[in-house]
Amino acid sequence: MGIKNLKKLISDHAPGAFKDMPLDAYFSRIVAIDASMHIYQFMAVVGRSGEDQLTNEHGEVTSHLQGMMHRTSRLLQAGIKPVYVFDGKPPEMKSGELSKRRAAREQAVEKLKEAKESGDAAAVEKYSKRDLKVTKEHNEECKRLLRLMGVPVIEAPCEAEAQCAELCKHGLVYSVATEDMDCLCFGTTRQSRHMMAPASQKKDVQEFQIDKVLEGMDITMDQFIDICILCGCDYCGTIRGIGPKKSFDLIKKHKCIEKVLENIDLTKNKVPENFDYEQVRRLFKAPEITPATECSPFKWTAPDEEGLIAFMVDEKSFNLERIQSVIKKVKASKSKSTQGRLDSFFSAAPRKPAAGLSLGGKKGANKAGAFGKSTGVTKTKKSGGIRLG
Amino acid sequence: MFEARLLQGNLLKKVLDSIKDIITEGNFDCSPNGLSLQAMDSSHVSLIDILLESEGFEHYRCDRNIPMGLNITNLVKMLKCAGSDDIVTIKCEDKPDNVTFLFESKDNDKISDFEMKTMTIDDEHLLVPDQTYTAVVKMPSAEFQRLCRDMSAIGDTVHISVTKEGVRFSTTGDMGTANITVRPNPSADLKDEERTEVQITEPVSASFALRYLNSFTKATPLSPTVTLGMVPNLPVVVEYKIADMGHVRYYLAPKIEDEENGGAIEA
Repeated sequence: MGIKNLKKLISDHAPGAFKDMPLDAYFSRIVAIDASMHIYQFMAVVGRSGEDQLTNEHGEVTSHLQGMMHRTSRLLQAGIKPVYVFDGKPPEMKSGELSKRRAAREQAVEKLKEAKESGDAAAVEKYSKRDLKVTKEHNEECKRLLRLMGVPVIEAPCEAEAQCAELCKHGLVYSVATEDMDCLCFGTTRQSRHMMAPASQKKDVQEFQIDKVLEGMDITMDQFIDICILCGCDYCGTIRGIGPKKSFDLIKKHKCIEKVLENIDLTKNKVPENFDYEQVRRLFKAPEITPATECSPFKWTAPDEEGLIAFMVDEKSFNLERIQSVIKKVKASKSKSTQGRLDSFFSAAPRKPAAGLSLGGKKGANKAGAFGKSTGVTKTKKSGGIRLG
Repeated sequence: MFEARLLQGNLLKKVLDSIKDIITEGNFDCSPNGLSLQAMDSSHVSLIDILLESEGFEHYRCDRNIPMGLNITNLVKMLKCAGSDDIVTIKCEDKPDNVTFLFESKDNDKISDFEMKTMTIDDEHLLVPDQTYTAVVKMPSAEFQRLCRDMSAIGDTVHISVTKEGVRFSTTGDMGTANITVRPNPSADLKDEERTEVQITEPVSASFALRYLNSFTKATPLSPTVTLGMVPNLPVVVEYKIADMGHVRYYLAPKIEDEENGGAIEA
């Protein structure tokens, strides 16, 4: 579920590390999408009211398919090239977190019962959301849907986020779309949040860049990972009395968890039993993944119309017209995806390293560069090709 | 500080009209050489490059480089308040919070001044390479505008191919196809700006989205001629020269023909 309050910590210390961009700006970019996380979201949000999820006439849940189909078609229409990455088996380290979640779910079921008896609708909604379970079938159905839509699907050996990070690190994808901030710990260079938000919310994509995070906080990647571990991640417990702010200050002062542990009052700040930070570090730095070099090249193909109708309409009882309209949109998006980006032809003008404060100076310098260029074009005349003018 | 006085204030309106469909905000860069702007549309497909050289102004003073981040939509609104014959003066401090626009009527019987807030725009700048083109086409700008409009009635992508014989524009849509060929016309009867000229070192062809080309033609009032520069597999440049002043240039990334190939990504 990510790192506790990391977003706040980043915005406090490295405000230049993230920016809001319109979805348009991603067009023709390849983006890795943490499918498992999003399916869970769809289950929780799409077509829900009270305790009921979106189902078809056989009573099968279809929220995930509905969500996956529409949001994917939205990405395609924006000219984005998505690659979906699914979770493999959960890492052993996560067992603690998973059993906690299981317990929370059991508790939620109890509470749900109570709420239903007392007729508290808000509470029913709240607790039934916590009782969600994404089953293997749901995942498989989503994969099938995506393949029929002509979108590449990758199965990670272990955590999807780690696999996404690997793809991003090696430049196979431009960014990773997930809401979970711990993908930054896995070495993702660029993370995009809210990419799969529904069109109705009109939310901008929030883009984080790890190099700017580190620069703004003035720490190394290893220290960043240590801060995240102290803040509280999925893989081990947290030290009592140490929250995000304290974690940041402690690491800034002592540089690593070992030193932090030597310097804090262990009676006041109780370290949990399963605080195996070295193991977590290893997990973040060398997770179980398929190396980028072994991933086959991604291919986006035309949607399989008959297949989609057979699956979505005949099997899942979706409305035929709706599916046809989605197919039409996906097909139309094909022409858009052939448009090139200007920044893949021209290189970016050099930026000054100092982020944030020195905006004025940076601007001036940039401008001078660009300006010099454009006058250069007008003035110089060489033989060979043809000049304008 | 920065101060520039432009006798034909109308020119500024025309320049703004030529970009307002593409960008909503931009950094105007004031430097001792002149006023310039570089900006990309939100999807980074096209780039605008404007230069108004200092010599073109009646009076021009700029002590140091000043970025002036302005909301284009608001600027257009403000310039609507200037009469078409008005003399326009732009003024601001070295680190401006506001930019002042002064409009003086031709007969000097009315003076209005407007102050506009600046904004900090974190835009990305691209280095446009100093390029030689394998094909350069110069044609009357009105003709190019008409041509783009006609093409977009049929399809949304235009294929431009330049050979020695001329330039062929073709498109395909649901209702059919269209081809327009423009031939060089060196006839001595024509004025310079009515002539179509084609210079090539080798034939070039590429496809472009008409939606963008159509917005570029909003610059038509700035210049009687337009120049297209093409290099294989590179963006096309569409240039409108502003007499004695500079230019408005647009760069447009081509459509990538091979759609199976994901295309190169740069991090």
